[in-house]
Amino acid sequence: MSARFLRVLLLSLAVIVGCSRVGPRPALTIGVAFEILQTEYWVASFEAMKDELNRRGITMVEAIADGDANRQLEQIQSFIARKVDGIIVVPKDAKTVIPMIRAANRAGTPIVLYNRPCDRTDAHAVAVVADNYKIARATVEYMAQQAKKTGRKHKALILIGDLGDINAIGRRDGFDDALKGFADMIEVIARVPTEWNQEKALAGVTNALQANPDIDFIFTSSDFLFPSIVSALKTAGKYRKVGEVGHVVLGGFDGDATAYQMLADGYLDADGVQDVYFESSAAVQAVLDLKAGKDVPDRILDEGFVINQANLKEASARMWGARK
Amino acid sequence: MNRWKRLLVSEHWVLYLGVACFLILFPFTPQLASIENIRNVFSNMLPMLIVAIGETIVLITGGIDLSVTSVIGLSSVIGASIMSSDQGLLAGNPAAAAAGIGGMLLAGLFVGWLNGVAVARLRMPPFIVTLTAMMFFSGLAVWLTQSRPIYGLPARFNELGQGAWLWVPNALIIAGALAVSAHVLLSRSLLGRWIYAVGTSTRTSLISGVPVNRVITLAYVASGGCAAAASILYTARLETGSPVLGQRILLDVIGATVIGGTSLFGGKGRILWTVLGVWFICLIDNSLNMLGLSHFVVMMVKGGIILFAALMDATRTRVLAG
Repeated sequence: MSARFLRVLLLSLAVIVGCSRVGPRPALTIGVAFEILQTEYWVASFEAMKDELNRRGITMVEAIADGDANRQLEQIQSFIARKVDGIIVVPKDAKTVIPMIRAANRAGTPIVLYNRPCDRTDAHAVAVVADNYKIARATVEYMAQQAKKTGRKHKALILIGDLGDINAIGRRDGFDDALKGFADMIEVIARVPTEWNQEKALAGVTNALQANPDIDFIFTSSDFLFPSIVSALKTAGKYRKVGEVGHVVLGGFDGDATAYQMLADGYLDADGVQDVYFESSAAVQAVLDLKAGKDVPDRILDEGFVINQANLKEASARMWGARK
Repeated sequence: MNRWKRLLVSEHWVLYLGVACFLILFPFTPQLASIENIRNVFSNMLPMLIVAIGETIVLITGGIDLSVTSVIGLSSVIGASIMSSDQGLLAGNPAAAAAGIGGMLLAGLFVGWLNGVAVARLRMPPFIVTLTAMMFFSGLAVWLTQSRPIYGLPARFNELGQGAWLWVPNALIIAGALAVSAHVLLSRSLLGRWIYAVGTSTRTSLISGVPVNRVITLAYVASGGCAAAASILYTARLETGSPVLGQRILLDVIGATVIGGTSLFGGKGRILWTVLGVWFICLIDNSLNMLGLSHFVVMMVKGGIILFAALMDATRTRVLAG
């Protein structure tokens, strides 16, 4: 029985494999591969992408790699085998994505990188990225101006992301360059490497506040680390509203719901906002343009903006974290 | 025994289960059966198969190796630190790739030997020994690199994961050679018979003159070596040495081995079963991806299918017991 059964199975499979080569494909299908859905920013980006594709009547197939670059490579290969019309990918880092781009290039499938560019390579992809340097610099400059108004010197701390991530480097450089103009007023005395990890951020800020209780200027390279900062500041008895005595000048980057709430409650001075809606829309447009054979620049920049206590009312309409 | 019972207790039941899943899912996503996708499924299963081969040997002895994923990460960064053209110890040396591969294999064999000695000589529970090893060596890999991936691996090395020899993928040659060797070892050699004997009853094996400690140690060494070999393929595919490489595949590896029919209680298992188990897990992963289901649905469905397969396995065991 077993051998006959096997023969029937194999025959059925052969027929199916043959049949799979034909069949119409009615609508466009875009494969969207995210490295992870760990933070509010990625979830908001994912939802914005889904809405954008829905709005244009495009079918979306999704894949989340849970932080595993090998799994992401397999997912991209699946998209290619599924013959999607284009791929939008949030890569784990700038290098591991290169074999994925090469695979897409070989198959002639347009590929767009969302929010994280790849390293220099002969493979071709379009990247839609925030101008991390410029947004971070503008945010920190605003914070420094607020600090300057107090007329006293400040001691600063920065939470740095994973330095394998080019976005983290851009934000760190923006912070450093912004403070060069305020060197007489603000001294950077602590740099906390977080590797984008909340526990490391909490431990780092707590240790820094114990070693330097006079820290009164903190910038985080990502808003998702705010809960760690707030926890450490509360423990140290330093979590005060803007304008109150002992207020620590606070700034962040992303534009998430936590940052919006802190702005609305009066605890946060400024936040650099990445425009999720622009980036999603630009990524979809870029993949469609590539599919149509149009020229698309290798890098599409999201200029972003800074939201602060002064422009909160008008700017919150564009802040993705402020939308319910 | 009627036809359904015979099907249920067949050694190839996972194959039937996989084909059934394939036939059920095919109407929803016909590309599942495209040549390109079938090639993807087989190419994706090769590195995991190598890890699972080592796990099978350990499971047959009645142990378990939870440290395989840490070996993958540690080997990856050790190999990359030797051969990377950016920061490698032998950057630019023509022997860098060979030395890197040697370093990766040695790292895996060493971790396996440590596990084996702790389990066999110190009589420590395999679960605790390998869990601790997983934590320690994962941490060591991250510490060595400060969590930064290592790039600039030699093209000759990357070819192992991406290239082919006479149209046969290099990964298939490596995985195939290891699978055949492990099969011959388990089914045709004295050491293989000892491995089964130790898993069936350590006490009886000891009385019968089987060098139990040596057999257990060798099983863990084999598992460490296989994990390091898989790390070579994973690292070469991504052209990157990463301390977190393969960190999330442990449940897939153990799930695939057990679904294939290898017993968690020792004494039972075959390489062919493991091949089918790994194929089944990769097929499910691939099919659910191709269906375009949401990530959370994929996780739930995958968990459900693995649970169903485990239930079927328990039913088979009951039927076989009479």
